[in-house]
Amino acid sequence: MASLGSFTLLVAFIVCTYAAAVSVAGARRRSPRLIESGVGAFYLLVALMLLASAIILHAFITGDYSIRYVDQYSDSAQPLFYQLASYWGGLDGSIMFWVTLLSIFGACAIYSNRERQRELIPYVVAVIAVVEMFFLFVMIVHKNPFATYLTQAPIDGRGLNPLLQNPYMAIHPPSLYIGFVGMTIPFAFALAALITGHVDDSWLRAVRRWTMGAWLFLSLGLTLGMIWAYEELGWGGYWGWDPVENAALLPWFTATAFLHSVMVQERRSMLRVWNMTLVIMTFFLTIFGTFMTRTGVVQSIHSFGQDRALYWMFIVFMVVLLTVSFGLVIYRLPLLRARNELESWVSREAAFLVNNWILLFSAVFVLFATMFPTLSEAVTGLRLTVGPPFFTKWMLPIGLILLTLTGVGPLLAWRQSSLSNLRYQFAWPVAAALLTGAGLYAAGFRVWVSGICFALCAFVIGTIGQEFVRGAVVRREATGTDLFTALIGLVGRSRRRYGGYVVHVGIVLMFLGFAGSGFKQDAQMLLRPGQEHEIGRYTVRYDRLSQNTDSQKQMITAHMTVMQDGEQVGELFPARWFYFKHESEPTTEVAMRRTVAEDLYIVLAGYELDDQAASFEITVNPLVNWVWFGFTVLALGTGLALLPESAFAYAGAMAPSGAATASSLLLVGAVTLVMPMTASAQLLEGARQEVNVPTTQLEIDMRRSLVCMCGSPGCGKKILAECTCATAAATREELKRLLAEGLTRDEVLQFYIDKHGSQEALAAPLDEGFNRLAWLFPYLLATTGAFAMGGALVRWTRHGHEPERTTSQTDGTAHLEARLDDELRNLD
Amino acid sequence: MPAKTVKKLLTIVVLMTAFGGLLWGTLQDGAAYYMHVDEVLAEPEVWYGKNLQVHGYVVEGSRTWKPDTLEVRFQVENNGAVIDAEYTGVVPDTFQDGSEVVISGQLGPHGFSVKPNGVMAKCPSKYEPAPTLGTAGTLASSD
Repeated sequence: MASLGSFTLLVAFIVCTYAAAVSVAGARRRSPRLIESGVGAFYLLVALMLLASAIILHAFITGDYSIRYVDQYSDSAQPLFYQLASYWGGLDGSIMFWVTLLSIFGACAIYSNRERQRELIPYVVAVIAVVEMFFLFVMIVHKNPFATYLTQAPIDGRGLNPLLQNPYMAIHPPSLYIGFVGMTIPFAFALAALITGHVDDSWLRAVRRWTMGAWLFLSLGLTLGMIWAYEELGWGGYWGWDPVENAALLPWFTATAFLHSVMVQERRSMLRVWNMTLVIMTFFLTIFGTFMTRTGVVQSIHSFGQDRALYWMFIVFMVVLLTVSFGLVIYRLPLLRARNELESWVSREAAFLVNNWILLFSAVFVLFATMFPTLSEAVTGLRLTVGPPFFTKWMLPIGLILLTLTGVGPLLAWRQSSLSNLRYQFAWPVAAALLTGAGLYAAGFRVWVSGICFALCAFVIGTIGQEFVRGAVVRREATGTDLFTALIGLVGRSRRRYGGYVVHVGIVLMFLGFAGSGFKQDAQMLLRPGQEHEIGRYTVRYDRLSQNTDSQKQMITAHMTVMQDGEQVGELFPARWFYFKHESEPTTEVAMRRTVAEDLYIVLAGYELDDQAASFEITVNPLVNWVWFGFTVLALGTGLALLPESAFAYAGAMAPSGAATASSLLLVGAVTLVMPMTASAQLLEGARQEVNVPTTQLEIDMRRSLVCMCGSPGCGKKILAECTCATAAATREELKRLLAEGLTRDEVLQFYIDKHGSQEALAAPLDEGFNRLAWLFPYLLATTGAFAMGGALVRWTRHGHEPERTTSQTDGTAHLEARLDDELRNLD
Repeated sequence: MPAKTVKKLLTIVVLMTAFGGLLWGTLQDGAAYYMHVDEVLAEPEVWYGKNLQVHGYVVEGSRTWKPDTLEVRFQVENNGAVIDAEYTGVVPDTFQDGSEVVISGQLGPHGFSVKPNGVMAKCPSKYEPAPTLGTAGTLASSD
């Protein structure tokens, strides 16, 4: 199988080369057949990459540890979910995952634009194919995920790092990759526009949604990374300005800038060079981020080791990339000249411009500070490092300015705002800000940065609220409906605008969370059983230490009681887990008491089993949950902006009478979406059970084939061996008793089926369902790939036989219609 | 037109110098020298009182905790040079005998005092697994 995988990659590379070459040739010779062939080759690439993914997933599931990558990142004790997630657990697989995603995204983008962007398509294919070629090349010569052990193959793998065995960490990398890969599509269209000289706004329209979607996934990836760091790493914070984090943040800055400046180009035909630059920079930064973290150029605790060969490959690729892209921009400068000039600094375009500068400056600054140790070593020979305080010092004011602009931008008119206009727009929001500031001061808040941030948040919320209310009132008067219906109609008519406002609300909420960190309290102490410690409004008492084991790990748990004003408000169980294959690296299981106002965050840092003394790190993090909540709102806003026309038309047609009900339902829906976050406050590492070690192999197996049935969101459906809640402990006792009575495996399973009235308690319905599906998955993937490949071949050959004249004629009309459609759609 | 160009250039120059100055100013108190233990101990007096990040390996068996406190004393070595360090606070999981650490703080005549949260320990297999399977002995000696 491994050699089939390597072979597939090789063929993929050749197909890529063909796609790139034939597309360029086709575009230059104006030969539709060659262009078609290039597009077809690209679809073939998707099929090949799906096949390669299927092979590696198959290897992970069946445990083919002769493949080095599988051995290094998976083992047989790992839950199936993490066995699959191991695909992107390391560099080799990540690159392959990247290539696969890019081929899929590229194919979708090419397919959906094949009529409208006819002139651009061959070059889009070529650019994406060249990017794919680079990654395929890296894989084939240097980082082949299918490399096997030449000698003896190990019997079992070494397992995914325990720190990465976390649901957030399993979906965080794919989300980031989707964001990164998504940014390649705008880049390909931008480059195609430059090459062909069709640098009007049509390429922008083709990529607008892609950029927005990619941006959403980038934001999601960043947020998941933060949640993971906060819940898993146990240092009490969520962002440490580590190079790995910064690498993902850099393209986010430029992409955000692009999303804003693109509006200026659409409205005022300005900033065209700038937009090109931003798209190129964003793509470059996604590559640079990978380079920075994966080749060891920046020293970091989190970075992934040094690799000279990879270093040079990336350097060459990046140099070529920058030279070609900016060379093209310079070559096309005459075509890119702006049609309008900035008329006044008190205008919306000026606000956008300033916003862009600041975002770009943030990117440059973060890049500079991240690279500073490397730069200083190169220049002076001494390695100078800068820490988080340096970043904070700079990013704090930058963040506050950006927040202000978030509010100011929408208030200003295009071209120029008059004085009366300013007064009309700013009065209420400024009043809101001043009131908040004064209120906070009166209430005794004295952390200036946070205070200013809160006031600014009030200002921005004021502006957005004002926009919604005024818009709705105007629409109500115009259409004569109630306010709710008017609001829905308003949002439906200009989704991008109001979706954008909702995104801004999300950003404000996140800033609330950031500002809260100004009031963070933090203490480290050593406690003996019975001792107490006071922090913030809480008194925390340490009761005792317990120790227990399951199939994967040993767990040491501290039992703590949380008191507030002398009354017990809860129990917390911070723990340390020692995975058997990674015993020298225990994982910290943070215990948290989450509320809307603040988190009490306890880490068991060290312990002595003989005298039960334990050291703790206790943090009170005010408002931190608003960061996650803010992201939810941001995602909803982006979704709103991305919603296709038809969805809104449908909603409008469905609910003309009960519009108020519909909107309140929407609200309820949003609230329910957010609820799980507060509910997960109950995610206590409830290790109240006593030591109950499985004694027989059957018992170990049985613990893995049953799930916890308590139904709390913290447990989900964890398998019995892993769940730490009290119900699971009781079930384990029961299981032991049943087995002691001499029941066989099937009898025990029947017992639980009878008990719960269904097969729900079984981890894997033995002969059907998920397990079978998971085994089938790679084959399914391979079949899909094969079908796609066959389809592509059929298409190819058919087009070869058809008379060319008719094809181009019908295509021509379709193309014209599509274009007309597009123009009409963009009229709003 | 030229007047406008001059204006633009002036704005850029002023902004650049302002930012450059600010950057330089903040760098002065934010930055720390990143060195290996032997590099520091070549001329220790030079580095007294400066912000340092020292890179090395924890000497086997050197970690001693003062009873009932979070105060720990340990030694860090690199290329034969050994430095004494003291730290009060919680240490990361990966801070073990022989593990690769970076400690930040200041050097004085009596050793290195690590600032709060200044112990960062690298684990050799954190993301990239160790190169060979084998007994614990070969793993330890391959470092």
